[in-house]
Amino acid sequence: MNVLEVRDFSVEYGLEEAAVHAVRHVDLDVPRSSVLGIAGESGSGKSTLVYGFTRLLRWPGVVAGGSAVLRVLDEDGTESEFDLLAASERELRSIRWSEISIVLQSALSALNPVRRIAKEFDEVLRVHSSGLDRSARRARAVELLDMVGLDEDRLDRFPHELSGGQRQRIMIALALALDPQLVIMDEPTTALDVVTQREIVDQLFELRQRLGFAMIFITHDLSLLVELANEIVVMYAGEIVERASAEEIYAAPRHPYTLGLINSFPPMHGERCELVGLPGAPSDLAHLPTGCSFHPRCAWAMEVCKTASPKAQPVGDTGRLVACWLHDGIHEVPVELRRSVPQRQPL
Amino acid sequence: MSENPILEARSLTRYFTVRAGGGGRRHKRLVRAVEDVSLSLRPGRVTAVVGESGSGKSVLARMLARIVTPTSGELLLDGRQIPLGTKRGLDYARQVQLVLQDPFASMNPVHLVRHNLERALLIHGATRESLPARLASAMTRVALTPPEGFLDRFPHELSGGQLQRVSIARALCVEPKVLLADEPVSMLDVSVRLGVLNLVRSLADDDRMATLYITHDIASARYITDETIVMYAGQVVERSNGVTLIDEPAHPYTQLLIASVPDPADPTSVAARNTADEAARQGVADVGCRFAPRCPSAMEMCRSAEPPSFAVGADHESKCWLHRDGAVATPVRVASHEGDPRA
Repeated sequence: MNVLEVRDFSVEYGLEEAAVHAVRHVDLDVPRSSVLGIAGESGSGKSTLVYGFTRLLRWPGVVAGGSAVLRVLDEDGTESEFDLLAASERELRSIRWSEISIVLQSALSALNPVRRIAKEFDEVLRVHSSGLDRSARRARAVELLDMVGLDEDRLDRFPHELSGGQRQRIMIALALALDPQLVIMDEPTTALDVVTQREIVDQLFELRQRLGFAMIFITHDLSLLVELANEIVVMYAGEIVERASAEEIYAAPRHPYTLGLINSFPPMHGERCELVGLPGAPSDLAHLPTGCSFHPRCAWAMEVCKTASPKAQPVGDTGRLVACWLHDGIHEVPVELRRSVPQRQPL
Repeated sequence: MSENPILEARSLTRYFTVRAGGGGRRHKRLVRAVEDVSLSLRPGRVTAVVGESGSGKSVLARMLARIVTPTSGELLLDGRQIPLGTKRGLDYARQVQLVLQDPFASMNPVHLVRHNLERALLIHGATRESLPARLASAMTRVALTPPEGFLDRFPHELSGGQLQRVSIARALCVEPKVLLADEPVSMLDVSVRLGVLNLVRSLADDDRMATLYITHDIASARYITDETIVMYAGQVVERSNGVTLIDEPAHPYTQLLIASVPDPADPTSVAARNTADEAARQGVADVGCRFAPRCPSAMEMCRSAEPPSFAVGADHESKCWLHRDGAVATPVRVASHEGDPRA
């Protein structure tokens, strides 16, 4: 039961010859009430992907192909399909915020600096749930703030009077105001320090368990994702290079880029030794290399990698997908890329 | 360890006065940005300062670079006392170089990389003839080769990681003895961070650079440091040789900080939860221990008297009343994750 299904989805910036292929042929499934993590560096297309299927892209960004369907669960338990790409602006308005909402990275620029917080809540509740009168809207706003651990008196503050963590909590409360089925978090904690990040992440998970919404969590911090996501997709240069459960991705990566990404985080335990991580710099989307986009940085690049782009294919029997020629069944898989997934110890 | 420090700070303190409140309620408020911080930077050693935003770590770096004048304290370069004040004279600036977080903001965008580097050299009295050789050697040192490929480009033509190497090269080309690196990797892509960290480490190892590495990323500090300092609200709350305080944190704040780091390698890691309510967390205590309002182990005395630093091990001290008897406190484990959050 997926709340979102994206197929063969591509986004370009600019047109025809000059187009930059920011997202290329991406498939994405978000099961109801689960957490999908999207990991990748800046420029890998992870934000463009969600802006694409939520129809938030601005010119010159264009959806170049594919489909995106939101399955809305109605109150009586029946599912209705909503074609995100075909919908008119008017139809989009009916599902935005109420079924699918988004929390952006910079909470300071997302809140209107000359409005009190109360006004932000009042507006969304007034526009989308017409049944509520002024005092009921206020009461709902207080309830939402309480949900994210903030006092009622924050409602009468301006954004600049609040800390970064408080502003991000307000963004989360706003995103949940209409009880959406899918919440997209675009680097919600990147600008925050580690203690605040921990508090907000814990809060989000408590809320998700209670309210049951599904979540897409975008971040460059793979170690954070491993902790929170059910399933992780790793993006490189606009494509999904690996998709697997969080445990599998972390303990037994199969794509050389995933492995390099994991090795780029210095560990918090154990002996200190020099790490290499990934050589080179992320690919320039305007001048992509031929074949596999990752081959110039890959330690195991072969002849075929320079000429042909690998398709994502299943590896193992757990539903994992990997786009790499090393896993085509003909080539020998390097030992680093065939670690076994440890059985989870019961805690 | 025995080597004499190149740069030494003794009880550096900086207060700022800010106007707070609006309308008729305007009043002056004192912000104690950095208070009583002492540290020594020695050749070949990396000292890491770890803290949240607002902990005063950047103000500390700017005082060491003499961009911000300390309210009080002493600064010694090579054992000689440096007068406080920002009229820093060229020689100090040459010996103590600062590298900032955002490489795009620290380069002149309308000039070539070459111009940005040459300017630094010319200001410090290099002759025109010596420029090409010195630029080439600095660029080679930061692994931007061939140098010509990078020198004749504009800053916007380089990636963040490359440009951060350029700003390190600019600092290096005047042959400093001290490198102050203020969050040098936090704006860089994950995959290029390690390269810059390895460079900072090798400058200390191979070129005997005395290095201050300021960061909020504890794992990266653990990766390159020889001495670790944790700052909270302008004060040093814990310091240790090597990474002792990261592996065995004594101060409740350090414990909170480390428990907050996402760590997939440790499934039993304990999530830090703050029992103090949001309002209380905002304020930093004026009397007593500054961390007391957030501290899970706060005692009566913590709210009335500020603790001094107590030794909790070899080369390891903690500014916390829990350690007044020299006892190493058992880690205070806060509320645990109840089950798997994904369940």
